[in-house]
Amino acid sequence: MKKMINFYLLEYAIGSLVRQKSKNIFITIILSLLTFLLTAVFFITSSIRYELNQTVDALPEIIVAQTKGGKHYDIDVSKADSILSITGINSAIPRVWGYYYFKNAGVNFSLVGVGEFEDDYKEILENGLLIGRGVRDVLKKSYFKEYFNFILSDGSLLKLDIKGEFDADTELESNDMILMSKDNLRKIFDIDETKATDIVVSVANPDEVQTVASKIQLLFPNTRIITKNDLKISYQNIFDYKGGVFLALFIISLFTFFIIIYDKASGLTSEQTREIGILKAVGFTIEDILKEKFYEGIIISLFAYIIGVILAFTFVYIFNAPLLQNIFTGYSELKTSFTLPFILDIQTLVIVFFLSVPIYISATIIPSWRVATMDAEEVMR
Amino acid sequence: MIELKDINKIYQVNKYNKVVALKGINLSIKEGSVVVLKGASGSGKSTILSLIAALGKPTSGEVVVDSVHISKLTDNFASAFRSKNIGIVFQKYNLISSLSVKENIILPLIPSNPDALELEKKLQKVLEMFEIVDKKEILVKNLSGGQQQRVAIARAYIDNPKIIIADEPTANLDEKLSLRFIEILRGLKQENKTIIVATHDPLFFGLDFVDEEIEIKDGHLV
Repeated sequence: MKKMINFYLLEYAIGSLVRQKSKNIFITIILSLLTFLLTAVFFITSSIRYELNQTVDALPEIIVAQTKGGKHYDIDVSKADSILSITGINSAIPRVWGYYYFKNAGVNFSLVGVGEFEDDYKEILENGLLIGRGVRDVLKKSYFKEYFNFILSDGSLLKLDIKGEFDADTELESNDMILMSKDNLRKIFDIDETKATDIVVSVANPDEVQTVASKIQLLFPNTRIITKNDLKISYQNIFDYKGGVFLALFIISLFTFFIIIYDKASGLTSEQTREIGILKAVGFTIEDILKEKFYEGIIISLFAYIIGVILAFTFVYIFNAPLLQNIFTGYSELKTSFTLPFILDIQTLVIVFFLSVPIYISATIIPSWRVATMDAEEVMR
Repeated sequence: MIELKDINKIYQVNKYNKVVALKGINLSIKEGSVVVLKGASGSGKSTILSLIAALGKPTSGEVVVDSVHISKLTDNFASAFRSKNIGIVFQKYNLISSLSVKENIILPLIPSNPDALELEKKLQKVLEMFEIVDKKEILVKNLSGGQQQRVAIARAYIDNPKIIIADEPTANLDEKLSLRFIEILRGLKQENKTIIVATHDPLFFGLDFVDEEIEIKDGHLV
C-alpha cells in the first residue's frame, strides 16, 4: 500500500528550505509580522466590538431630554409621572448627571448621581464618591488621594470623600466616572429638586420602543427623544470611523504581503529552474514536484501564521495592545486603559489563515508548476 | 529494444528562428547492447539521448522502448517511465551542488517512497560499487570532477534501470578518470544493461565491449 505522506519528499522540502535559510528566515519573519499585525487588528476589533455591544446593551431604551430651541436644559422630574401613564412603559426614572471640568488636569469627569441602585450604594455615597481608575490616577497627580473638593456655582467648596473605585473590568465605561449621591450632584450642578438632567424610560416590549418614543414626543414636543438604537448607530459611527484607521493598517499589511507574493510568484531563479529540470530527469512527476513545493510553502506559511497568531494573542490579551488600542480608545487626557476582553474569534483566525497560508502556498507552487509542466530537456537547456 | 522511427526534431529558438536537430532518424538498439553515438558537438547526439530518455518529444516520428511509445506518453507517465527504466548521466553531471552525495544519489528513489531499509540497502550498494562510501555525507560541490561523475553514475544506477544513458560522460575528465569510467561501463554491460553513450572522445572508439558505433552528422545518421 502506498504511504500517505512521502517523508523523503518532506525531508527534501525541509532540506531545500534550509539550503536557502537566510532568504527563508527573512520571508518567515516578514510573514509572521504581517500575520501578527492583521490578527492583532482583528483581535482588538473583536474585543472592542464586544465591549461596545455590552455597553450599548446596558444603555437605557429611551432617554428623554428637555430642549429649548434645540438646546438642552434640565427636565422637570414630574414629567416622569406623565410618561409612566403611557401604555407599555415599565419605568421612567429621572437621572442627574453632568460633566465636571477639572481645571488642574484639563480633563472632564462624568459625574453621575445614583438613581436605580441608590439603595446599594447609599452607605458609601452619603457623603462620598466612587471613582473610575482614570479619575483616581488624575486626582492622585493633584494630591487628592482621600477626598476631592468640588467647586460649586457660588464659588464655595464641597468636600467629598473617596470611598472606593470601580472594578477594572468596567473600565471602558467607568474610567472617567465619579458616582455620588443625587443630592451632592444637585449641589455641584445647582440643579433644583424638581429638575433632572434627563429621564430614562424602560419599555416592556423592545419592539415597541419606537412607538413609545413617538408617543412621548407627542406628549412633550419640546423634548428630544433618544432611543437605544440611535445611540447604537452613533457609537457604531465612531467605531467605524476609527475602524477606518485599522482598515488602512490592514490594507498596508495586505499590500506588503502581496508584494512578497508577487515577487515570489513572478519566477524562479535559474538555479531553482535547473533543479526542477534535474528532478524531472531523475523521475519526479509534476505532482511530485508540486507536492515538494507545497511542503515548502506550507512549512513556511503555517509556521509564520502560528507565530503571528501567538504574537498577536500575547500583544493583545497579555500586553493589552499598547499603541494600537489607543487608535480606538483615543488619546484624551483621561483615556481609558481598560483590559481588552478575551474573545475566541475563530472567524478572525480563519480569515487570517486564508489571507496568508493558501496565498503563500499558491505563490510557491505556481512558478514551479509553470516550469514543471515544460519538457525536462527544455528546462535544463 | 529501443526503436527510433523517422525522427525529426526541430527546436524553435524564437518566433523567427528554428534549428533542425534531427532529420529522418531511424535507429534500433538491442537490449543489453552497448552503443556509442559519435559525432561533433551540435550533431544531434544529445537530442537522440533526450528522446530515448523521454526528456523531450520528437517533432515527428516515434520513439518506442520495449513496446512503449514513449514519445506519446504524457509528462507524468514519461517521468514514471524514466524513473523505472532509465538512468541518465549528464554531460555536466547535473547534480544538485548544495546537496550531499547521499541526497543526490537517492533522488530517483524519492517518488516511489521506498521503505527506509530498502533505500539504505540500495544506497550502500551503489556507494560501494562506485567507491564513494567515504564521501556519503559530503556536499557534491566539494568533490572533484571524477568523484562527481561517480556520484552521477551512482544516481543513474541506484534504481537498477534497464537502460543507462550517458551524454559526453568524459568531457570534463582527464584520461585516467575517463578510462576508469569506461571500466565502470564494462561492468554494467556484464549486468546486461543497455548502455548508450554519446561522445566525441576517441577513448570510446573501438572498445571491445561496444556492440555498435553510430556516427551522427548534422542531424543525420552517417
